[in-house]
Amino acid sequence: MANTACFIIVGRNDIPIYEAEVGSAAKREDAAQLHQFILHAALDVVQDLAWTTSAMFLKSVDRFNDLVVSVVNVVDSSPVVNVCFFLNLSTHTRLMLLHDSRNEDGIKSFFQEVHELYIKILLNPLYLPGSRITSSHFDTKVRALARKYL
Amino acid sequence: MVEPVNSSFGKMLLEEVSPVVMVLCTPLVEETFLKNGLSFVETLKPFCNFRNIDVPVRTSSDQLYRLKKFTLRLFYASDIKQPNVEVAKQRLEHVITQAGEKDFQDMKSDPPQISDILSNPESEIAPSWFQYYNKELIRTLSFSDHEAFDHPVACLLVVSSKDEEPIKKFVDLFNSNRLPTDGTMDPNILKHYLLVHDNQDATTERTSKVLSEMRSQFGNNECNLLCTNSSKEGNVEHQANPWASFKSSVSADKLGCALTGDDIVEIKDLMQEFASRHIIPYMEQKVRELNQQISATRKGLRNQFKSFFRKGKVDGPDATKGSMYTYSSTESQIRILGDYAFMLHDYELALSSYQLISTDYNLDKAWKHYAGVQKLGKSGFQNATRCGLWWAEMLKARDQHKEAASVYFRICGEEPLHAAVMLEQASYCFVLTKPAMLHKYGFHLVLSGEHYKNCDQVNHAIRTYKSAISVYKSTTWSHIKDHVYFHIGQWYAIVGMHDVAVRNMLKVLDCGYQSKATQEIFLRDFFDIVKKTGMKHEVVGLQLPVINMLSLQVIYEDHRTYASQASALVEESIWQSLEDDIIPSLNSGKSNWLELQSKLLPKKYKESNVCVAGESVKVDLEFKNPLLISTSITSVSLICELTANSDDLKLDNEPSSSSLGPEISTEHNQVTTSGFSSFTLSEVEFTLGGGEKKLVRLTVTPSEEGILKIVGVRWELSGSIVGVHYFQSVPVKAKTARGRRKNKLTPTDALKFLVIKSLPRLEGSIDHLPEKLYAGDLRYLVLELRNKSESPIKNLKMKISHPRFVSPGNHEEELATEFPDCLKKGDEQNIVQHETNRTSSVFAFPKDVSLQGDRSLRWPLWLRAAIPGTISLYFTIYYEMENVSSIMKYRTLRMHYNLQVLPSLQISFEITPSPSRLQEFLVRMDIVNRANSGCFQIHQLSTVGSRWGISLLQPVDTILPSKSLLAGQALSCFFMIKDCRKSGTEDEETMSLPPSQTDVKLFTQDDDEKLFDIVSSPLASFHDSERSCQGPSVQVGPNTVDFILISRLAKSSSPSAVPDLPKILTHHSCHNSIRSSSPLSWSLDGPQTIHHDFLTSLCEIKLKMVIRNTSDGLSSVTINTNDCLPDAAAPTSSSGNQSGWRYLPTVIEEMKLTSDVMGSRLGKPPSSMESSPPFIWSGLSSTKVQIQPLSTTEIPLQISVFSPGIYDLSSYKLNWELSEHESATSSGTCQGYPYYLTVLQSE
Repeated sequence: MANTACFIIVGRNDIPIYEAEVGSAAKREDAAQLHQFILHAALDVVQDLAWTTSAMFLKSVDRFNDLVVSVVNVVDSSPVVNVCFFLNLSTHTRLMLLHDSRNEDGIKSFFQEVHELYIKILLNPLYLPGSRITSSHFDTKVRALARKYL
Repeated sequence: MVEPVNSSFGKMLLEEVSPVVMVLCTPLVEETFLKNGLSFVETLKPFCNFRNIDVPVRTSSDQLYRLKKFTLRLFYASDIKQPNVEVAKQRLEHVITQAGEKDFQDMKSDPPQISDILSNPESEIAPSWFQYYNKELIRTLSFSDHEAFDHPVACLLVVSSKDEEPIKKFVDLFNSNRLPTDGTMDPNILKHYLLVHDNQDATTERTSKVLSEMRSQFGNNECNLLCTNSSKEGNVEHQANPWASFKSSVSADKLGCALTGDDIVEIKDLMQEFASRHIIPYMEQKVRELNQQISATRKGLRNQFKSFFRKGKVDGPDATKGSMYTYSSTESQIRILGDYAFMLHDYELALSSYQLISTDYNLDKAWKHYAGVQKLGKSGFQNATRCGLWWAEMLKARDQHKEAASVYFRICGEEPLHAAVMLEQASYCFVLTKPAMLHKYGFHLVLSGEHYKNCDQVNHAIRTYKSAISVYKSTTWSHIKDHVYFHIGQWYAIVGMHDVAVRNMLKVLDCGYQSKATQEIFLRDFFDIVKKTGMKHEVVGLQLPVINMLSLQVIYEDHRTYASQASALVEESIWQSLEDDIIPSLNSGKSNWLELQSKLLPKKYKESNVCVAGESVKVDLEFKNPLLISTSITSVSLICELTANSDDLKLDNEPSSSSLGPEISTEHNQVTTSGFSSFTLSEVEFTLGGGEKKLVRLTVTPSEEGILKIVGVRWELSGSIVGVHYFQSVPVKAKTARGRRKNKLTPTDALKFLVIKSLPRLEGSIDHLPEKLYAGDLRYLVLELRNKSESPIKNLKMKISHPRFVSPGNHEEELATEFPDCLKKGDEQNIVQHETNRTSSVFAFPKDVSLQGDRSLRWPLWLRAAIPGTISLYFTIYYEMENVSSIMKYRTLRMHYNLQVLPSLQISFEITPSPSRLQEFLVRMDIVNRANSGCFQIHQLSTVGSRWGISLLQPVDTILPSKSLLAGQALSCFFMIKDCRKSGTEDEETMSLPPSQTDVKLFTQDDDEKLFDIVSSPLASFHDSERSCQGPSVQVGPNTVDFILISRLAKSSSPSAVPDLPKILTHHSCHNSIRSSSPLSWSLDGPQTIHHDFLTSLCEIKLKMVIRNTSDGLSSVTINTNDCLPDAAAPTSSSGNQSGWRYLPTVIEEMKLTSDVMGSRLGKPPSSMESSPPFIWSGLSSTKVQIQPLSTTEIPLQISVFSPGIYDLSSYKLNWELSEHESATSSGTCQGYPYYLTVLQSE
């Protein structure tokens, strides 16, 4: 399992609809905000890439090396942090994972399964697309998947 | 090729990549020039930029080209070396700090809109001081030994004419001064000798002598004379001071004060000549030389070049490098060739020579190549920085901003200040990319800000964060938002701008999703800053606590007043339906108060709510703490405005207001508009725990007439932050949440009140109304009404939602004796037939009841818990005021109580006709104690009305010795009732029974205790309502009986579920019909036993059948007798017997005995009878009679018996046909009852 992993689903207008820190590293107060910053910044890249590829899984689209991170005092001991995306164009939803895992296949399967979960959420007639996902069931499932694949 | 002049990068190159001239001068020279406030180099500097030098140059190729622009850089020899790293650092820091202070002015301004940033022209996006900083940064990195740009091309030796032995000085100057580096630099540098002549204190003779000496010594061309300070007084003022732009610290007008115009022209000419005649030709020549040299050796050296680069890459700047590549080495010479060519703007030659030394790189442009070469040639971070900067500039010039940003990002390095500047520049690159990458922009700004903060450049940190805020302003990424606002807030506090700090910190307060520790830090810092400001901050829309606008509920009293909080929360529709028939109708045609009101008030006011001066308007509002930390909130109060009503009222309705007399118009003038003295507000304090919600009641009490508007709510946090929330921003939803007000109103209207003059207000309460009681519990209560005002109220009416439960008494304080004894018989004083006007369900108090001046009215109420369950009782009391207000003539007082009624005894009755006696019925009463706990004693059973007399068949004591029913216990008792109506008469009143016969005391233990009088007021009236409630669902005819069972809680019962013990309980059971299918009852009358001598004759026995018509209709009855019993008849009769209660008279001893005899023989006779008919009906075989309603007919019958035996005379049928009032007829058949006749042989 990866040391650092932050999973976020971003909906239309770049609004996060689901966030989860799924890394095994001890939780730090400021880690959450750094992860958000990195993922948020990576939205630009994903925006560019989305128009150039038809693939849903975009692999690593952005990097943030820890040299700078350590200077910002939000130290993260991981060597490289990749951001992966899984795109769902129909709802313009982006599944983003910040991770330091080298396990490409695992990440891909993680995204596929989470995507399925997300579609189940969408099928719920009571769920308004674009609103925050509050289902605790979804949360547990995602965390279980993270343990399994990352 | 890109024209270098056109881009900013090109300009930079022209300035930076230009020949360096090393200046060596004596102290006296410096002294001379310091008179002008300038050093020698500074004096010459403005004249080193040549706009139009126009020098022909021919380098490698034979083609001539002309240099138009040229720049020289002058440095003192002592400066030509790599500056100390620490010094350089300090210098850069100084630059940044200065820039930061400059920027400080606009720090207070709000962050710019992101759209503004994007629409700005490119040049304005990055702060202008970046150019300056970059220049400074490059300068600190200059004079390294591996490139020729910064190697001095020429040497300018300057000696003052005042110097002793000037010629020797010249030689000394050059000798004493070693060239800065000895490695790759050319020792045979171009030298130029300059003699400075100060016109102020040196003589021309000596100067000219020295000059001629110089010329002979150093050569004619290499020597020049410079005369300065021609102005004797030293107060020349220059129109456009050429030094001003170079040296800003000293006041500009002092600079060059001793230099006349001629001096300046001389300097200019000198420099121009120096450049065009000496430097350029020298470099030209040098390039040509090198070119030849290199082209001669080029081919064979290729491998060596390669090794050069490998080395350069791997080794880094170690000590061996200098010695390895000396000036004379070919590599260096190629390098110098390239650099010189570059400086002479012969880019093609430069390119080709660079290509020569970097064949591995096949890049397309000179710029890029250049940078690539630079990068290769350097190792070590600082050098990478410079080339990175240039590279980035290049990329920017080519609109590759994204790449430029990544270059900036890479050259960040470890030194935070440097990194900060680079990151900031990177961020601006992201804005410039098309499309703009705003997320990256924000992120890099934040990173940069962090770095700035780490080097205490708070101003810069604030500046970057401020820009970042414009990106993150509308974001929903909570952690990002919190981080940015919190830190910028902190930093504003550091620089002392506490108000701005507070403004930013406010946005962080709603951080419920953060961990508790973070929340604590946020709050602590926030309050620290607030305290430092030392004043109260009023914050509109403070998110701590969060106000749930959906919970907003306004409770006010206009003509509707409420006795309690609970009653105010009841749905308006319930009250309205209750009050429908007691308040004056709106549509009544008469001219009443309403029309007056509509005339008086313009529409605008009619639609607004009305409240009364002196009576408070209450607002319920829910506060929620979004944090995990408990927060105490103080001084919560409403914000209100009370304006005098009002000029427009007067203007709109001039005639009607005049009709009201002068009274009102004078009041207009008196009403103050200040608003503060004219109402009072309540203040509330409370503490909200983490995540807690609290509903808070706030009140405003207007004391004057006018228009009251509730504008918002304010509260204080830790005594220094005042939160304000205005209700105007109420979402439309809130309207429906407060649905009990008029729905048409907009939220703002709903918070607007017309305050009218104070009115009497009735207060009411019911004393000791129990909350829990058993079903059937009968209580005596007192309704207390009070009017505190002096003006009287009258015409009181009351309506009760459940007349079945509550019945008002008749007199004020009617009870003389203690309840419940007053209900007992013999307590004659209050047995008053209550008013029969119960249908209206409105109770009108007597006309003479009028209340005023704190007098209270106590009115008795009877409460009876009719059915189990939870009951909401609504009372509404209508009253009218006298001569008070034209707007409001009446008011209503609304009271609401909840009762919980527990089940107690459940009774059911079954009545069957007595088989043997007409007009007598058997009653079985089943009682079940349904209560969970508690024992009940049954006391008395009464029939209602005077028709039915009741008697016990068996004392209950024998069935139930314990005398009380335990929880869950059931009991059956038997009674007999007798219809006391006289046949043929329908008038019940004529034959009244003595009342005692309608009541039965069930337990006989206390004989002295009187029975309850069920015809007295409360019991009777409750029974009436019970009757209508238990209502006859089907018309079951007249034969119904109503019972009232009176019970009491057994004294022995343990503490029960009900707090105050009931005294008596009454249970009413109405419309119990007699269980019988036919409208007839009949009996055979005749002897029971006959002795006859059968030897002489057969025996004829006369019988009499008495038939009673118990129905209300006319009945015709046919009696059929049949002598042979059909087989089917027997089961029919037996089943008929089963249905009723067979009455075996126990009263008469003989009868009992006979019945025993008959019972023992019952089995036997039928078999004998079946074989042969033992008797024959000898009278009429069929008779038809008409029987009047409720009357009795007797029909004679006769049988003939032939032998002794016991005969069952049931072989007859009654066919009846009933014609009722509505010509509806019904008919049926009744089998005869068994009637046993014993015939014996007479002795």
